[in-house]
Amino acid sequence: MLYVAETQGISHRYGRVTALDDVSLQIPAGCMAGLIGPDGVGKTTLLALIAGVRRLQGGALQVLDRDIALAAERRAIAPRIAYMPQGLGRNLYPTLSVRENLDFFGRLFGQKADERAARIEMLLHATGLDPFPDRPAGKLSGGMKQKLSLCSALIHDPDLLILDEPTTGVDPLSRRQFWELIDAIRQHLPGMSVLVATAYMEEADRFDWLAAMDAGRVIATGSPADLRARTGAETLEAAFVRLLPGGQDAAPVILPPRNGTPDAVPAIEARNLTKRFKDFTAVDDVSFVIPEGEIFGFLGSNGCGKSTTMKMLTGLLDPTEGETRLFGERLGAADMQSRMRIGYMSQGFSLYGELTVRQNLMLHAQLYTLAPAARAPRVAEVMAEFDLTDVADQMPESLPLGIRQRLQLAVAIIHEPRILILDEPTSGVDPLARDDFWRKLIVLSRERGVTIFITTHFMNEAERCDRISLMHAGRVLEVGAPAEIVTRLGTATLEDAFIACLEREIGGEGKASAAIALPAPVAPPGPLRQAVTRAGAYAWRETLELMRDPIRLFFALVGPVILLLTMGYGISFDVDRLSFAVNDQDQSAESRALIDEFASIRQFAQGPDFADQTELAARMGRGALTVALEIPDRFGHDLRRGDRPEVSLWIDGAMPFRAETARGYALGVVESFGRRTLREAGIAQNQQLTVETRFLFNQAFLSANAMVPSIIMLILMLIPAIMSAVSVVREKETGTIANFRSTPVGRAEFLLGKQLPYVVIAWISFWVLLALGHWLFAVPFTGSLLALAAISALYVVAATGFGQLMSSFTQTQVSAVFATAIITIIPTINFSGLIVPVSSLAPAGRLVGQAFPGAWYQPASVGSFVKGFGWAELWPNALALALFCLAYLVFSVLALRKQEA
Amino acid sequence: MCQSLKNILRLTIKELRAIRVDRVMVVLILYVFTVSTWMVSDAAKTDIENLSVAVVDEDHSQLSARLADAIQPPLFTPPAQLTATEAAVAQSRGDQVLVLSIPPKFEESLRRGDPATLMILIDATAVAQAGNGASFLRQVLVQTVSDYLSPGAAQVAMINVVQRNLYNENLTGAWFTAVMQLMNSVTILTLILSGSSMIREREHGTIEHVLVMPVHPHEIVVSKVLATGLVILVASVLSLELVIRLGMGVPVDGSLALYATGAAVYIAAVASIGLLLASFTQNMGQFGLLVIPVIIVIILLSGGMTPLESMPDWLQIAMRTISPAPHFVSFAQSVLYRGAGPGLVLGELAAMAVMAGVALTVVLRRFRKVLAG
Repeated sequence: MLYVAETQGISHRYGRVTALDDVSLQIPAGCMAGLIGPDGVGKTTLLALIAGVRRLQGGALQVLDRDIALAAERRAIAPRIAYMPQGLGRNLYPTLSVRENLDFFGRLFGQKADERAARIEMLLHATGLDPFPDRPAGKLSGGMKQKLSLCSALIHDPDLLILDEPTTGVDPLSRRQFWELIDAIRQHLPGMSVLVATAYMEEADRFDWLAAMDAGRVIATGSPADLRARTGAETLEAAFVRLLPGGQDAAPVILPPRNGTPDAVPAIEARNLTKRFKDFTAVDDVSFVIPEGEIFGFLGSNGCGKSTTMKMLTGLLDPTEGETRLFGERLGAADMQSRMRIGYMSQGFSLYGELTVRQNLMLHAQLYTLAPAARAPRVAEVMAEFDLTDVADQMPESLPLGIRQRLQLAVAIIHEPRILILDEPTSGVDPLARDDFWRKLIVLSRERGVTIFITTHFMNEAERCDRISLMHAGRVLEVGAPAEIVTRLGTATLEDAFIACLEREIGGEGKASAAIALPAPVAPPGPLRQAVTRAGAYAWRETLELMRDPIRLFFALVGPVILLLTMGYGISFDVDRLSFAVNDQDQSAESRALIDEFASIRQFAQGPDFADQTELAARMGRGALTVALEIPDRFGHDLRRGDRPEVSLWIDGAMPFRAETARGYALGVVESFGRRTLREAGIAQNQQLTVETRFLFNQAFLSANAMVPSIIMLILMLIPAIMSAVSVVREKETGTIANFRSTPVGRAEFLLGKQLPYVVIAWISFWVLLALGHWLFAVPFTGSLLALAAISALYVVAATGFGQLMSSFTQTQVSAVFATAIITIIPTINFSGLIVPVSSLAPAGRLVGQAFPGAWYQPASVGSFVKGFGWAELWPNALALALFCLAYLVFSVLALRKQEA
Repeated sequence: MCQSLKNILRLTIKELRAIRVDRVMVVLILYVFTVSTWMVSDAAKTDIENLSVAVVDEDHSQLSARLADAIQPPLFTPPAQLTATEAAVAQSRGDQVLVLSIPPKFEESLRRGDPATLMILIDATAVAQAGNGASFLRQVLVQTVSDYLSPGAAQVAMINVVQRNLYNENLTGAWFTAVMQLMNSVTILTLILSGSSMIREREHGTIEHVLVMPVHPHEIVVSKVLATGLVILVASVLSLELVIRLGMGVPVDGSLALYATGAAVYIAAVASIGLLLASFTQNMGQFGLLVIPVIIVIILLSGGMTPLESMPDWLQIAMRTISPAPHFVSFAQSVLYRGAGPGLVLGELAAMAVMAGVALTVVLRRFRKVLAG
């Protein structure tokens, strides 16, 4: 095998954006090959295509001599490829410990327990992670996360290791250790090919072969020495700049000397700044003084406390101890005056994507209280200065990264601040645009005397600063001019100086061990056994994650209880204690008897009498009175004479159901009173008809007896469906879905494994709801418990399966939650017999209802509680639910893509 | 102070622009306040309609046939003629809600002047319809028998009841559900809109950016409440006027200005609760999980679905203390249906205003803490 991957005319587009444009490459096997270029040139897309996690759109691609466009070929080589996606630990599970993460990956490759244990031991030892196997991955430093990611990629001895920007955001020491580790592994696995994408040119210098990319095209290939020789540049970075279109005549960035007055008040002064979050000290006793007009570089790895320090300098955070002084004045959190002096540019793009470039600038001009007349000219001025005039009315999201960075800087200086605080302003920007950006900074500093505080990962940028400081684990290790630090530590370059400084600080911790002894390959278990292991891996991991996520766990376990309580009490059709008042103008024995008749039933609660129509209107207007009865003068007299006296009845019709029921009861009371009077008076009735009503299954006609079993149907649909939809979409959002795409796990294994924990939780919920319904709401249970339990198990499998089906149509957790909620709630409430009996529905509504599992479970639930149902009545429902389970699984498997578009 | 007001105004305009650009949200708002209000009001009513009835006729007389004929749509489905056993099975399966049983020699007994009994068997698990359905059926039966046996006879009742339903003479269900559905829409959209505006800023890092400027946290929070409130208020008033009053023909008698005032206070309170929920969550996913149970609790226990007085006392007190919805339901019913003036609803308005104030205070207290985490 000469080439590990060969591409012929690959093109790839995302909507209208072209990511790759007719790329033809032959990547040599058995060596370290690199793709270099800034963000957004197509490196990640190309790697994802090679790894087989993205679908090939156009062109041909052979990986490990197989055609990756064919699913069968892809399956065959999947176990031989390892893919580590971009982003610090993006394929790791932050709540799982180091060992659990590795164990999960081992299971994905179908390894047996003892084989996994041996490999994990070896890898932890080799990477120096062995002191903390139980630390959650989310709590590791950036460098350790990347090592763990590497371990998980190496757990199955791949032939091709694909690393997408593995060292972005990692401190120089960890970066060096990472590459040493790769070298050590390659010595033991000489056949392994490594393919790396990187934006760090210093790093790329150590690779065997490079492909430089720009705007979706490959602009040069060859060894680093080749590229340098071809362009006549000294460094690879310079070579790359010259390879770029228009880069041939790029001038170097020159920093003119600064003429500061030595005893002026310093612009920024940090005095013993300390910030603690609970038991964690993010920033520990940091002090520095920055004179006006200086460019001060702040270096350190991700998570070392840089951003926290900057937040304390801008007044976003109050320090736990110590203070910040700006131009000699102490900075308080609510200090509006000092904020006028600061311009801030946060990490990543943080302007309003929903406002145009001009609107963004205008909003900031307003909020910084520029005089109304000065605003428009100032906005025009900065737009001209930063070459933004052409894009003034575009949305920032549609602009390239370099222009967005310029916009952010323009926004930060719109009010002409004396201090600029910039948090990694150039990360991901191509070298030409970066140089351009620096020229602007230098003009601000040297010509306008602006003090600039900047953080960066790039050593060549650090060298352009007047002074720099090195930070690690919340403490500042070194402060001084770059050349001075290099001399002081006696190293060749600034990077070496940084590493020396870190090594002195942390000693040998995390140092890779050279002793790598890969265990002899064990015969793999049978295919079925592997499939079970892989599905089990997802079930096990999902359970662990769920147990460690309080919000989801709360929703899954407490959510159903809260919903049953609120709905059980909230959806009640019992009409009890309706407020009732009389105006008895007769005051006879008969009128009092009639009133007593009203007061004697539980549906009416008698309130104080009302005197006249005005009072009646006022009380009913406030909603304080539902039923009013007026008995006129001579009522008793007329009644005794059989003259059919008249009574008046007013009912509050604002709530029609209640009014209807109240009317039914009131008329019933009057009628039975009339009959009794007749009987007592001995008057013969002209007919002897009685209409008897008998309430079946629920003699007391209590709302709870019917509603609680129906509500259980609703809850057991809603919550499990949302939980399982979120569980899949979460992986899409956090990026861990890449593990599903890049490992041999099958679609059904993935779905069933992830479904299992939610089925178990939902079934436990069923028992809790059943108990609450029976004991708290006192609903009798008359049917077969066994049958209901079995049918409920089928129902929650169907509900979770429905959630997984929903997850294939949704991309974010929010849309998964709301879409699933809306789609389950509407048919379940309206067409499943919750309020309107299914038999009263129009045929269309009935069909809609029966297309969801709820309409099949509701009769089973109600039947088992109050109608004494057992298997004899329930088997058709069980069969229907089983069909739903199967159908949802089949559709989910069909809808789930093993490759990204 | 003046500067503060200006900042609030500018941030509110920014928020409004953000809502305008969010196409999904705009479509959702339009849909909810038009189509959904209409559809749900039509579907979720508890009016008796097409209630399934079976007749077990063991008399086979002219009268029994007359009784079966009298059971007609729209209230009832044309009745199925079943035997007693069949009826029992059908009712147990849920196929028939009511079963009318006419005993042998029914007409004969009545003609002789002997007592005779009609039996209505009710599937009492259909609680929303069976009770009222049975009392309607009973009226139909009594009337039919009386017309048949003594046609043209005067009324038989001893007491003449003059009955009036105030505010909704015919007890049309849709009048009620339309306005309550409007309130539900207001609640759902306000919670989601205000909460997501806060979380979006946190996820995009823009809130940090704004806080570095000379802007106070309360200006940010108030502008979010204002922008959300304005959009929802305008949409809901338009929906009330155009969809409910004009489109569905529901007579809305009360003062629109008073209703809009109360709705504004309610929306402010709900928006503040939305921000409060958002301050407890890290991302939209968590917010979604938290907001759904809250929406369900607020809506179901507002008194808008079923009367507040049929809940246990402790629950009524609890809901009136923590949720603005029962106050708004009571306010809206008084103003829109019963034409109440400001004096009658002042208490409800005050209660909602206090809730808005409390929620906003907590949000502001948590603001910086949330940022740091």
